[in-house]
Amino acid sequence: MSLIYDPLHDCKLVGALRAIHGIRDSITIVHGRTGCHCGALLLKTLGSDQNNVRVVGSGFRSSDEVYGAEGRLASAIQLYYEYFKPQLIAALNCSAPVIMGDDIHGVASLMKEKIPADLITMDTGGYEGPAWIGYEETLAKVTDYMIPHERPSGKINLIGIKTDDINAHGDVIEIKRMLKDQGIEINTILNDANFDEIKNAPKASLNVVLGGDGLACARIMRERFDIPYITVSFPFGIKKSIEFLESVANGLDREIDTELVDREVELVKDGIERVYMFLQGIYAMPVAVIGEAGRAFDLAEFLSDELGLNVKILAISSKNHLTSDIIEDGNDHFGRVMIEPDRFEMNDALKKAGVSAIFGSTFEKKVASDLKASLIRISYPVLDEVSITDMPYAGFKGTLHLCETIINSIITRTLEEVEG
Amino acid sequence: MATEVREKNEISENESSFLGTFVSTYSTIPLHGITAIPGKIAGSLLVASAIEDAVPLIHGPVGCAFQRKINPFRPYSPFYTTPCTNLNDVDVVYGAEEKLSQGIVETYRRYRPNLILVITTCPSDLIGDDFDAAIRNVEEEVNCKVVYSTGDFVGRSRPIGYQDALYAITDQMLCNGNKEVEKNEGSVNIVTFPIHGAGVKVAEMTSVLGDMGIKVNKVCFDHTRVEDLYELNRADLNITDYPMSWAKLMKERSGVEHYEILGWDQYDKNKDPELLSPYGIAGSSRVFMDIAKLMGKEGMAEEVIRNRRREAEERLSVLKKDLEGIKVAATGGMHGLGLSLLKDVGVEVSILIYRMQVLEHRLTEEAIEEIVDLNMNLANKYEFDPEPLVNPTIEEEIEAVKRSGTDLVIAPSTTSHLYNREGIRTFDPTGFMLNHQRVGFECPVELCMLLKETLGTAQKRTPLLSMLEYDPHAYNMTPHWAKLSLAFNQLRSGAIDDGRVCEDRKPSEVIIDEPNI
Repeated sequence: MSLIYDPLHDCKLVGALRAIHGIRDSITIVHGRTGCHCGALLLKTLGSDQNNVRVVGSGFRSSDEVYGAEGRLASAIQLYYEYFKPQLIAALNCSAPVIMGDDIHGVASLMKEKIPADLITMDTGGYEGPAWIGYEETLAKVTDYMIPHERPSGKINLIGIKTDDINAHGDVIEIKRMLKDQGIEINTILNDANFDEIKNAPKASLNVVLGGDGLACARIMRERFDIPYITVSFPFGIKKSIEFLESVANGLDREIDTELVDREVELVKDGIERVYMFLQGIYAMPVAVIGEAGRAFDLAEFLSDELGLNVKILAISSKNHLTSDIIEDGNDHFGRVMIEPDRFEMNDALKKAGVSAIFGSTFEKKVASDLKASLIRISYPVLDEVSITDMPYAGFKGTLHLCETIINSIITRTLEEVEG
Repeated sequence: MATEVREKNEISENESSFLGTFVSTYSTIPLHGITAIPGKIAGSLLVASAIEDAVPLIHGPVGCAFQRKINPFRPYSPFYTTPCTNLNDVDVVYGAEEKLSQGIVETYRRYRPNLILVITTCPSDLIGDDFDAAIRNVEEEVNCKVVYSTGDFVGRSRPIGYQDALYAITDQMLCNGNKEVEKNEGSVNIVTFPIHGAGVKVAEMTSVLGDMGIKVNKVCFDHTRVEDLYELNRADLNITDYPMSWAKLMKERSGVEHYEILGWDQYDKNKDPELLSPYGIAGSSRVFMDIAKLMGKEGMAEEVIRNRRREAEERLSVLKKDLEGIKVAATGGMHGLGLSLLKDVGVEVSILIYRMQVLEHRLTEEAIEEIVDLNMNLANKYEFDPEPLVNPTIEEEIEAVKRSGTDLVIAPSTTSHLYNREGIRTFDPTGFMLNHQRVGFECPVELCMLLKETLGTAQKRTPLLSMLEYDPHAYNMTPHWAKLSLAFNQLRSGAIDDGRVCEDRKPSEVIIDEPNI
């Protein structure tokens, strides 16, 4: 294995940021050098929620590496509170101040008396771990602010939604719709909620962990608030959407309304009928799926099992706590599985596999272009495609949207573009 | 590298207007110094990516490699290849020099580059790795040059990473005394910031210099390779956009003179505002004559400049007839569309708008006054008599535009809609700057044609962008982004003291109502 590594995933800082940013009335202060702040800001700004970017810097300077920057962070906390009046301020300690030993937790203790917002502080030095660990630790940390409730509401919490995934907004709407049709209500989405809603997450009767993201949080909530949890597939396609509904219903000791499900399936069938020749045409198309564990396994299975595509490579860009179990269980829908591979080695594998389409992120744009393969942008980070309608990739409606996107990614190209 | 440069007029037809649009689409993100500053890694990666056969090696953790794939200078073009040494907590405790040495060898074996640019990061800087030693340990195992950039070589020259990487290349590779170079007598290098179209932007300059008997040794960065860099010190003169630390070093070590198109140093000496105005006929003539003097070609240059100038003026005299009497509201400051260009095209500058809010956090009052005076002095010199508006609201601007009978506002696409909905036409200076603005005599001709085209386009009265709420002062931004910007600049400028003071400060002392961006 190579020592050098061209990563497919980010560091702990960005995992933590993604979790916090889903709390709508929060501000995240990146306590680190300008590059860390600038990169984090761009990750948010190049997405599809440009007027809701809530990541700021602490004003850290190179000279602070000598004298420390705790004071600067304190000023930043105060200033950003005055500007944005957030309910929650998260200060994320980057590599430089972590190594220097800035006591940001002490700063938070001091500032708690001065500002009427909750404060979360985390050490997220780049060398301390990958993004998924930052995400898990942050969701776990958020449980400290939750308020115990005696009587469960019969509602569920959905854990593992990342608001900066492409079409996340549409996915949430579709998942809510599917559940609502089955008479199931969502209490809180972690994290796509106000901080008060997060605090009231223990009102739920069941935690539903999507694709394994946020499992640590669900485990803590079970211990601390006695809320059971289930892990479910991300609902890509018909099969997984039905599985999702069945799992949630079972978790609540209920049955799903199969008539409603049949109606949904019928609607998907109507859509499929309208493009069936193209779907016949791409059947067995060799593809690669590159994405985070919480979604990529389920996407790859949908593509293989329902669309009949040949998933030659599945590259998991970022693991989660379920990844090793899934690998152990095995799944013949995936060809070669690569876990957090080096990009150079992955690109080499993609070239050898001869794929026609890559389901990946913006950073697969070049290899897709080199291979003259279509790129379907479905994995984090998508920084070169926007989505401002409510069209989902998840659920029954998402099935058709995915079909539409895949077919269009093929047929809109020119012969000149792909020849030779 | 473009020694065979193309003549300018090829761009609009062949380089595709899409490229301009592609660049412009991202140019509206309020980033550089407004809400954030790209770190040194991004600047160094810009250099590595501008050299075709170079590969960066980031000596740091995964985040420094993954997140920096986003190119803040060109967000439409990520840095796709960013291998790193994947530092972890053990490395931070015990050091990572050995890892760096091995990483260099692996990088070479994997990519077979001609140059590996090692870019250090916060963790590797702070733990005190000896980068030089780590490189020397494996120098003989790799058949390419290895250079390291820490961000510490160039003081406060910005962008630091960009300046530092070029300095490192000059220091450790080009001018380290290891290589004798045969001079290319009477030649210059033209080295511009590696943004799109560098080759095109210097095409006319190359042609003019050629007529003056000055050869172009190298143009950077335009398909530049390591072998091209090795030839830089064959030239007599380096021409850069603005002061560059590497050029000063090359002068010290190899005797290659340097000349900056934006003459900050000269301006400091005699405060002639035209020294900061290198565009248009007058500005370009001055720049070409400066270069000619440094190259000892004044005699030939005078005639070349005269001829080129006459040709351009003849074309302009016809073209600008349609612009006679057209009143324009221009933007003052350091980055506006140059008044000299507006003078060339024969419009009347009726209003001069200054938006100094961001600068107020960074510059002294005197410096800001100097910028205002500088623009007014230039306006007077060109016989304009504009009404100055300092930090106006949009309502004040529109009122002034209507009152003065101004026909066109020089306004970027971030604010155009605010004027357009009032029936006022706009011209985008950012698009012009990115795609057309350069030293040369063609530039005012292009501006003239573009202004005429703008005045003939349909009025846009109901732009969707006007549906949004904008900050009353920083009206290129929504209130949310205006706050991000204001807070960023307040922290950066030290307007907010650090916590040593903060502890005793009352909340009201945080200036939160200041509307300046």
